[in-house]
Amino acid sequence: MKQLYFLSLILIINTIVLGQNNGGVFSGSFDSYNQLYRKDIKIGAILPQDKVGSNNYLKLDYKQKKFSGGVQFEAYLPSVQGFPFIANGNKIANKYFKYTTSNFSLQVGDFYEQFGSGLVFRAWESRQIGINTALEGVNLQVAPFPFLNVKAIYGRQRKNFEYANSNIRAIDAEIDFSKLNMSAKTRTVIGFSFVSRYQQYTGPIQNFPATVNATSTRLDIGGATTSVSLEMVNKKSDPHDANNFDKKNGKTFLANLTFSKNNLGATATFRSLKNMSYRSEREAVGSVGFMNFVPALTKQHDYLITNIYVYNAQRKGEIGGQTDWFYYAPKGSVLGGKYGSNFSLNYASYSGLKNENNIFSFSNDNYFHDLNLEWKKKLNEKLSIILLYQNVFYNRLVIEGEPLPDVKSNAFVINTVYKYAKKKTFRFELQHLSTKQDKGNWAAVLTEFSFAPKFTFYLSDLYNYGVTDIHYPTVGGSYTKSGTRFGLSYGRQRAGLFCVGGVCRFVPASSGFTATLTTTFHK
Amino acid sequence: MMKKNYLLAALLFSVYFTSAQNFLPDVNIKSLSGKTVSFASFANNNDTAIIVSLWATWCIPCILELETISEQYEEKQKETPFKFIAISIDDARTSQRVKPFVRGKGWPFEIYLDTNSDLKRALNINDVPHILIIKKGEIIYQHNGYVAGNEEELFEKLKSN
Repeated sequence: MKQLYFLSLILIINTIVLGQNNGGVFSGSFDSYNQLYRKDIKIGAILPQDKVGSNNYLKLDYKQKKFSGGVQFEAYLPSVQGFPFIANGNKIANKYFKYTTSNFSLQVGDFYEQFGSGLVFRAWESRQIGINTALEGVNLQVAPFPFLNVKAIYGRQRKNFEYANSNIRAIDAEIDFSKLNMSAKTRTVIGFSFVSRYQQYTGPIQNFPATVNATSTRLDIGGATTSVSLEMVNKKSDPHDANNFDKKNGKTFLANLTFSKNNLGATATFRSLKNMSYRSEREAVGSVGFMNFVPALTKQHDYLITNIYVYNAQRKGEIGGQTDWFYYAPKGSVLGGKYGSNFSLNYASYSGLKNENNIFSFSNDNYFHDLNLEWKKKLNEKLSIILLYQNVFYNRLVIEGEPLPDVKSNAFVINTVYKYAKKKTFRFELQHLSTKQDKGNWAAVLTEFSFAPKFTFYLSDLYNYGVTDIHYPTVGGSYTKSGTRFGLSYGRQRAGLFCVGGVCRFVPASSGFTATLTTTFHK
Repeated sequence: MMKKNYLLAALLFSVYFTSAQNFLPDVNIKSLSGKTVSFASFANNNDTAIIVSLWATWCIPCILELETISEQYEEKQKETPFKFIAISIDDARTSQRVKPFVRGKGWPFEIYLDTNSDLKRALNINDVPHILIIKKGEIIYQHNGYVAGNEEELFEKLKSN
């Protein structure tokens, strides 16, 4: 209750401030995701005791000149099914105060931060997948010279509604050489990070590392058409639950090459790593308590069917890479036709390490591959079409930990958009995935009517006709006005990224009603 | 409770500062060549409106919106001049794809990266796509989500302001 009083006090203060009209800016957002569950034996959805799930986030910020401050109030009444942690309650989970000038900033309270690409440190939030690893403490950033930027942070990591039982201190420095030599045609940036975590150890093992340090060195060179970036991370011995008390050091090497000219863009990424689970607590397992960010470097697909077999980066050890090619065939060219056309190709492949001490050794144990091609074409003023093909290899033993056969699948997607009036559109998706393994074949169909800028209605069905014979039908709609959006749907949904009603959201698996309200406001 | 009192005091303290013209959050984003730019610097654009789109490479409606605006870009510029910036919220998982992706689309926009969603958070945006019109440092229009035809309202608002 104390927090509610505090919240209303801030609201009152802000109202006074606005009343005085002295130039401050008040802004905020509200994000509410609600579900009413029904009993659904077919998909094995266990009806929770409370048939309701509701995640709510109210964020308020106030900025005046160089000062800003804010709070995030969270209410789980209780948290929705499929959320990574079960919460029932409410709290002002984040609060901060910040002072910013052009070359200095100081933030106290809860903050988010990322060093480089986050391989050594990232504090972030993703409400839809239930991640909030904000640090509570101090974040100081100084740029004493135009070419140098230094960040120093200290704090403890948020753990649901509590804090992790450890201290994190870290420093990051970045030098931009192009600021030293203005005539340089290429931009060269080097960065160095040092991260340290201390968690008291009271067990019986002698010389146990209570403090675990990690360092990262990175180099980015960017030219007009080509750019290269390299990053090397070293993590000291860090025996903990999630790595089965492996005492060996952790290592990552990441290289990325990008080429772009005219209407062609290409990129190639190589990454190899071992023992990169770096957490705020030794006891943390699963997706809890990560201090660093090791994403699966694969394409983030945006259709129901292409999100069934999704890779997870193997922090224990993996080696592999990804390449992307994008080409725009301009209007009037042979491939482009009257309206132009887009082509893209993506290939990613990851394997285990042959020798666990050598991060540059490929083994024959393939973990995953994804080859996909996409073609997008506007056929006439009204009709445009996207065609997608995807081929996947998915090692279930490694990715899911299940001793089951590997999955090989092929998928096709057709997405057509028919704009039959100035603000009226009909969208139709047909999707199919075929595989002889796991649950066999899947088919999906989605139809959506939209009336810009306010209304959308959709009807979709995902159908597993290979093994389970289960349909995942959903009907829904949304209403949007400026920064406010209300969505309502009914049916069964699989967990994953779902792009309907004009936005994309990650949704949990569920059966029943779902109501979403998001809004943003400025004053 | 002590911490809260500090925060409260800080908020009260901030009330005593005088008027500011710039309503945009002072949050750093990066250009595709790696240059750090403060979002607040976009307030210094005189009378020309700036359209800001927050998008991601994995978001179909976002791409649809940017492609549509790209097609009409020259024609609409003649009616009411504007500056268009597209800020990708792709995180480190997909941010290396942004540069080639954009080149492979032939878009005439200025592109920036917000890889840890600092700007998205500061603008209090929940989902992508989200589009804003900024004039003299103030947000004069915004819309969440995109379906074909939304651009009509966007350009109407641009004209009438």
